[in-house]
Amino acid sequence: MPKQRRLVGELAFAVLMLALSLVIGYLAYQISGFSSINSAGAFPLGVSLIMLLSALWFVIEAIARQPAEATGLAALRQFCREHFPPQVLGFLGLAVAYLVGMNWLSFYPSTALFLIASMVYLRKGGVLIAAAVTVLTILLVYLLFTLVFSVYLP
Amino acid sequence: MIKKILAGITLGAAAAGLVLPAHAEYPQRNIQAVVPWGAGGATDIVMRSLIPHVEKELGGKFIINNRTGGTGVIGSNYVLTQRPDGHTVLLAAENAQLYPLLGLAEFDYGDFHTINIIGQNAAVIAAPADSPYNSMAELLAAAKDKPSTLRMGVTGAGGLPGSVHAMIEAVDDLKVREVTFAGDGPGITAMLGGHLDFMPLSLIAAKEMITSGKLKGLAVVSAEENPALPGVAPITDALPEMKKFLPWGPFWGVWVRQDTPDEAKQKLSEAFAKAVAKDEFQSFLTKMGALPLNLSGDEAKQYLDRWQSVTTWSLYEAGATQTSPEGLGIPKP
Amino acid sequence: MSEALSYFTMAWFDLGLLGLTALGTFAGIYIGAIPGLSVTMAVSILVSFTFGWEVNQALALIVGIYIGGVYGGSRSAILLNIPGAPSSVATAFDGYPLAKRGEAGRAIGLSTVMSVIGGLIGVLVLASAAPIIGNLALKFAPRDYFLIAGIGLLLVGSLAQGSLAKGIFAAALGAIIGMVGMDPVTAEGRFTLGNINLMGGIHYVVVMIGLFGVAEALGMLHNMGVAPVKQKVDKIIPSFAMVMKFLPLSIRTSLMGTIIGVLPGVGGDIAALMAYDHAKRSVKKPTRPFGEGAYEGLVAPETANSSAVGGAYVPMLTLGMPGDAVTAVIIGALVIHGLNPGPMLMVENPHIFWFTVGNLALANIFLLVFGLMGIKLFAKLVEIPKAMLIPLILVLCTVGTYSINSSMMEVFWMLGFGIAGYFLKTFGFQMGPIILGVILGPLMDTSYRQAMSSVGDDPLAFLASLFTNPLSLILTTGLVLILLSNTPLMGLIKKRRAAVA
Repeated sequence: MPKQRRLVGELAFAVLMLALSLVIGYLAYQISGFSSINSAGAFPLGVSLIMLLSALWFVIEAIARQPAEATGLAALRQFCREHFPPQVLGFLGLAVAYLVGMNWLSFYPSTALFLIASMVYLRKGGVLIAAAVTVLTILLVYLLFTLVFSVYLP
Repeated sequence: MIKKILAGITLGAAAAGLVLPAHAEYPQRNIQAVVPWGAGGATDIVMRSLIPHVEKELGGKFIINNRTGGTGVIGSNYVLTQRPDGHTVLLAAENAQLYPLLGLAEFDYGDFHTINIIGQNAAVIAAPADSPYNSMAELLAAAKDKPSTLRMGVTGAGGLPGSVHAMIEAVDDLKVREVTFAGDGPGITAMLGGHLDFMPLSLIAAKEMITSGKLKGLAVVSAEENPALPGVAPITDALPEMKKFLPWGPFWGVWVRQDTPDEAKQKLSEAFAKAVAKDEFQSFLTKMGALPLNLSGDEAKQYLDRWQSVTTWSLYEAGATQTSPEGLGIPKP
Repeated sequence: MSEALSYFTMAWFDLGLLGLTALGTFAGIYIGAIPGLSVTMAVSILVSFTFGWEVNQALALIVGIYIGGVYGGSRSAILLNIPGAPSSVATAFDGYPLAKRGEAGRAIGLSTVMSVIGGLIGVLVLASAAPIIGNLALKFAPRDYFLIAGIGLLLVGSLAQGSLAKGIFAAALGAIIGMVGMDPVTAEGRFTLGNINLMGGIHYVVVMIGLFGVAEALGMLHNMGVAPVKQKVDKIIPSFAMVMKFLPLSIRTSLMGTIIGVLPGVGGDIAALMAYDHAKRSVKKPTRPFGEGAYEGLVAPETANSSAVGGAYVPMLTLGMPGDAVTAVIIGALVIHGLNPGPMLMVENPHIFWFTVGNLALANIFLLVFGLMGIKLFAKLVEIPKAMLIPLILVLCTVGTYSINSSMMEVFWMLGFGIAGYFLKTFGFQMGPIILGVILGPLMDTSYRQAMSSVGDDPLAFLASLFTNPLSLILTTGLVLILLSNTPLMGLIKKRRAAVA
């Protein structure tokens, strides 16, 4: 396999995963320690060990590769640009607002608002079509989930 | 113009969404019926046979959800943590009465509101059809001969098999290897394959298997033969001292959170009482060897208290637990 | 014999039963296609809905929904990379790449035909060998389930594209996620951080919807500029030649799926994953590399999850023990209608067996008809502009997740898994192994505990038992072979052979 450059943030993420496996190993140990080979914690301990070993493996793999294009602060900035461009942040914000708002506003209104808002936001316009699709979707959801399946929506 | 129409439709739909739920009465939507045991087991079979009758009486729909684990703790705890609006009910067996004693959980049925105690069943000790043991006495002898080699199926601490085992250990010796399954159903499957040597089971789950010859009934946990299982000896034949624990048996019931609205409690109680009283269901229970009870209110409370007191003190005296029921405020029977 | 035949054809010639089967299959397809709506839930509702009906009518409708639902999950898996049900997780691996290439229509057509083939083979096995296979299934001891789960987890080797270490890590992570909650044996909390809400565990469908659906939507957000691929809607129905070409594979995977479906507690989801792995190992020259739209990668899981249905009926009809969650509900339906599912069912009521077989066959035929209808319309779904598709996907996932347990918390979990899944994917961790871990990890743990208890907690005795029983020996050998084939050892051996040849 040809040696590729690391992606921005890849090493940091790999180390994060390694740390995660240590935490999980600790939690697994807390379950029942090393008391018995047939305890509630035995299998989890084994699995966390596998996690740890495989994490070590890919951390080493990552270190052995060429560093990413940008480093240090520039890397952080590029990472944010790549993974959190304004559009994504905006949509995520809308999504969280939607889910949190559902408890207050109840399902149909908040879904309607979310759909129209996010479609307009992402398309930068087109309120008409957004509204039409929203109404159609709400109708379908209502038919299927509430009428047929009587699923309670908040 | 079109924009206005669309806006109007959307607002209208939104308004309808807000208004609709406010006008419905209980039950406003599907009721989640949590069965904390595996599908195919005794509790599951009883509940699935009862629920359609209840639905007719109540006019609502139930969705049965098998949430297994921790001898019913997971399912029971789940119901305790749901919204107290009457749309989650617990369809369970006797196990919760033992949770505080065995340290499995801090609640028992006193922390719920009892809608109905449906019925009571007997336990039976079953073994694979080709088992070398034909009676309880033979099983006991084999266990003494080679302690901790026989494999007994259990459903977790506080389950029926565990309690029966404890009662036997209180009066005699039965050292075994306990293998845990998610309920009667999986345990029976394992026994059929010869992966278990015996298992105490609820009569309802085992009856078909025993009468068809796929399993052998070594003893029924009562002082006399059970009419649903002719030919299976009472356990007192091999262990006369068990008499002091009997009559004893697993029971089934329906519970909701204590802070459930009264309207829901009342409607549920009525619906379940009528459903359990139905001839069809009553004959189903008796055909399975169970005793219909249909208790609610104070009678139910008395029944629960008595069962808890008898079983916890038996377990304590059998040495199955270090915690004394006295410390938990449970009076001696 | 003629009696059996008459029961078999009962559903075929009675207009009412015919209609009910058709209706059930049609509805099932669309129920299965929506993530979060499960066949189990639908069948549960039906059981009470059909309470007053005649047994045959109730069963006809239920069978239809079952067959349709298992297939339906592949629709959203192919079109949106969101498996409609856990049994369609493997379908997404090659189905979605096919959609991205513009071949969504062909993918749906192929998966339909394959599902029908798998379903019919499952029914054939059920009809011809039910009692024998039922008894065989009983022979599987806890240690055998442990081995099967282990073999399943080794699939990680096939599913991890790129770094094997990351694949192993992902599977292990999935296993841990699957174990969050109360321990089934001792009721201790595991990984619950003292939080009562976590005691119930994290439902694997929530994980699935988050990792596949939400993560996918978030990924799409970054590619807004990329126009949706134009879907080719010609040649939707696979040609006869194509079906023949895949026939050997499809027969093998169907049989695999049936056997796995027979095992109580193991169902279509595991069958599909194992079939996918089998295809990856046995097909040396796939039409395209696996994971990029190989037709074989679609054939295998779709045949397996459909044949598992026939398999699940085996223990149900021969012993009264459910083969999976849906058959458990069906058992309840039989009890309610006054029948006694159990070993005596086939003796006292043989008509139920033959009727079910005939019904299943009929449902599969309806599946072919309904499945192939409207494909063009569905394929066009992929062409919806991303700006509209992404919010719709989020709403669909939210409703789907909420309908499982009416828990808002689970919806937040779904979002969390979505975000985590997005980053995991970016840095080379695949979603497939994670789901594999979530499904198989707990099974392996429980079976391990049962097996250990059976031998008195003696590790040596446990190891010995893996070799001394014929069935276990076969499984252990398979496990070891697959394990070795994943390591560089096999690669070295192959290279040396190639060099010599």
